[in-house]
Amino acid sequence: MSTTLLPEEQPLSSHVRTRSSQTKRYGFFPGCVAKESCKELFNSTMLLADKLGIELIELTAASCCGASVVNDVNRDVARVLNARTYAQAEALGLDDVITICSTCTGHMRAANKELLESEEHMAQANSILGKFGAKYEGHIVVRHLLWLLIDDIGLDKLKSMVVRPLNGLKVAPFYGCHIIRPEAVNGWESARNPHSLEDVIEAIGGEAVDYAGKTRCCGFHIQLEKDNVAADMVGQNMRMAQDHGAEAVLTPCPLCHLALDGYQQDAAARWGRTDLPTFHLPQLVAFALGVPAETLGLNKHLIDPRKVLVDRDLIA
Amino acid sequence: MAKITLDIFRFDEAVDTVPHRDKVVVDIPETTTVLDALEHAKAEVDGSISFRRSCRSAICGSCSMNVNGITGLACKTPCNTVMDETGTVKIDPMPNFQPMKDMVVHMDPFWDKYTRLKPYLQPKDADSAHATERRVSPDDMHKLVQVANCIMCATCYALCPVVSVDPAFAGPAAIAYAYRFIEDVRDGERKERIAQISEDYLWLCAHCYACSYCPKHVDPNDRIIDVKRAAISERVMMNERGPRHALTVVKTIKQTGMLAETELIQGTVGRFNIIGLLKVAPLGLRMASKGKLPPIFMKPIPKVDEVRTIIDSLEVPVA
Ligand code: SF4
Ligand code: SF4
Ligand code: SF4
Ligand code: SF4
Ligand code: FES
Repeated sequence: MSTTLLPEEQPLSSHVRTRSSQTKRYGFFPGCVAKESCKELFNSTMLLADKLGIELIELTAASCCGASVVNDVNRDVARVLNARTYAQAEALGLDDVITICSTCTGHMRAANKELLESEEHMAQANSILGKFGAKYEGHIVVRHLLWLLIDDIGLDKLKSMVVRPLNGLKVAPFYGCHIIRPEAVNGWESARNPHSLEDVIEAIGGEAVDYAGKTRCCGFHIQLEKDNVAADMVGQNMRMAQDHGAEAVLTPCPLCHLALDGYQQDAAARWGRTDLPTFHLPQLVAFALGVPAETLGLNKHLIDPRKVLVDRDLIA
Repeated sequence: MAKITLDIFRFDEAVDTVPHRDKVVVDIPETTTVLDALEHAKAEVDGSISFRRSCRSAICGSCSMNVNGITGLACKTPCNTVMDETGTVKIDPMPNFQPMKDMVVHMDPFWDKYTRLKPYLQPKDADSAHATERRVSPDDMHKLVQVANCIMCATCYALCPVVSVDPAFAGPAAIAYAYRFIEDVRDGERKERIAQISEDYLWLCAHCYACSYCPKHVDPNDRIIDVKRAAISERVMMNERGPRHALTVVKTIKQTGMLAETELIQGTVGRFNIIGLLKVAPLGLRMASKGKLPPIFMKPIPKVDEVRTIIDSLEVPVA
């Protein structure tokens, strides 16, 4: 048996900073999808930040994080692209990079972990960044907005800010693989039994629905490979959610949103109609905090989420 | 000692049409493994309870099952790490398999995919061409040690969401084991093996990392990425969607710094593949009706030259 080659079980929360500095200024990495087909996510994030009294400073020159796909071509390029983004945040005097996409979170944290844990990787990245006068010092922590809500704002404070509690709306959390797995990279909470989304749902007056699909994959990354398989993955998860009483879904990942919102219709033949509206995390939180519903881009979803809000007497 | 309730899935395909559950209370130390708890129940209470096991120490790969919703080796899972507040341990067969009797499942689909790999060395030349055994450098061997630890317990296969909806997918263990031969310097069938596993839907892995819960730290998820990279560097089945997709992503990042969604669909499906594009079109039209289509032309990010410098410095292949 090899002893050196087997990765040790990593303690949870390695290099995770909980309840960080009192800073209210954060570097903000919206990711491609929030700038392209899910602009409502970007807008509702900004509206939520205003309500929370935090400043999200967009890293406008940041590149795509490489998603999970770039690794299929080359094992270094995503790491170096992300090092460039971190260097930009450092140059602005920031030490947090806040994401609003599960996939960005996982891949940017993985890149950061490799950079911080390997001098070789850091040296390689900096030798390339040096060509255009940049350098990553290694001070950045990548966190999802979901974790910021819990660590920096706090659930009690969040609860106290709610002006439009969700009236027990039954909301199914849908995490998205890369905000929880692999645990050695994310480690903010248990990937097999996470509860951050549930905690937020309860804090804003909803009822969190427990179902096995919440930590499963939405199939986004294979939509173009075999769309019927991707649709089946959506159908399977949404069937479970609905069977457990869900009226709506809440996700911290715009890719999950695109999959769940876009493919339930195609999955209906095999899994039965579900038609569960899928809220972006900041949309639903901002709504509960009193941001006007019309500004949240709810009309941009394929499955209109306003219907469940009307049913619960939350909007007219 | 503690009273632990085992809530056990019971089904015998020879007589039952539907499964039922039995509750068996055993008086054992809390730290007993789930496997030993089952052994206890079988010996003391009900001899008909069926499950596979041999080594009792995470070596043989027989005892994977689902315990309180988590799939893994029963012999590596102490009861106190999984039981709920009432001291109950709920035991089911592995998901993604057809149950045969209680926790014993039909393993054939798993083994079929493994056999298709020709899971033995197919050397480049005859043994007689070598005066000694075939030597492998420590560096070359190190690449294989981690996957060679696979005990074929099928935990990863049971956890894979793609397998659960498309049984044609090779699944994590088979792809990881394909890697074991693809990267073996003694093997002579590298390209053929890559082509074979590509046909068995290598590119259908959804990158979900569910298989990162391999009890032997094989990390099939990472090996799958290694095999995809090998496929691209050997230029195997480059007209398939998987490799085209990956290369187009790099291309759009190089052009704009971002992942340009419109370009990505065309690059993956094929700009002149009218039927393929029409299949994506209904969803596209639904999205367009909500003003949700990504822009057709992306404006490059500021300092996109830096991104190009990175991609060029690393000599990354681009579509
Ligand atoms: S995960 Fe997707 S959306 Fe996020 S930056 Fe990467 S490619 Fe863009
Ligand atoms: S759930 Fe979907 S979008 Fe989210 S990380 Fe998994 S595959 Fe990606
Ligand atoms: S890769 Fe791991 S989980 Fe999968 S069969 Fe092998 S040992 Fe089991
Ligand atoms: S990473 Fe790929 S192979 Fe592993 S469980 Fe997910 S889809 Fe299956
Ligand atoms: S009994 Fe052999 S692996 Fe569990």
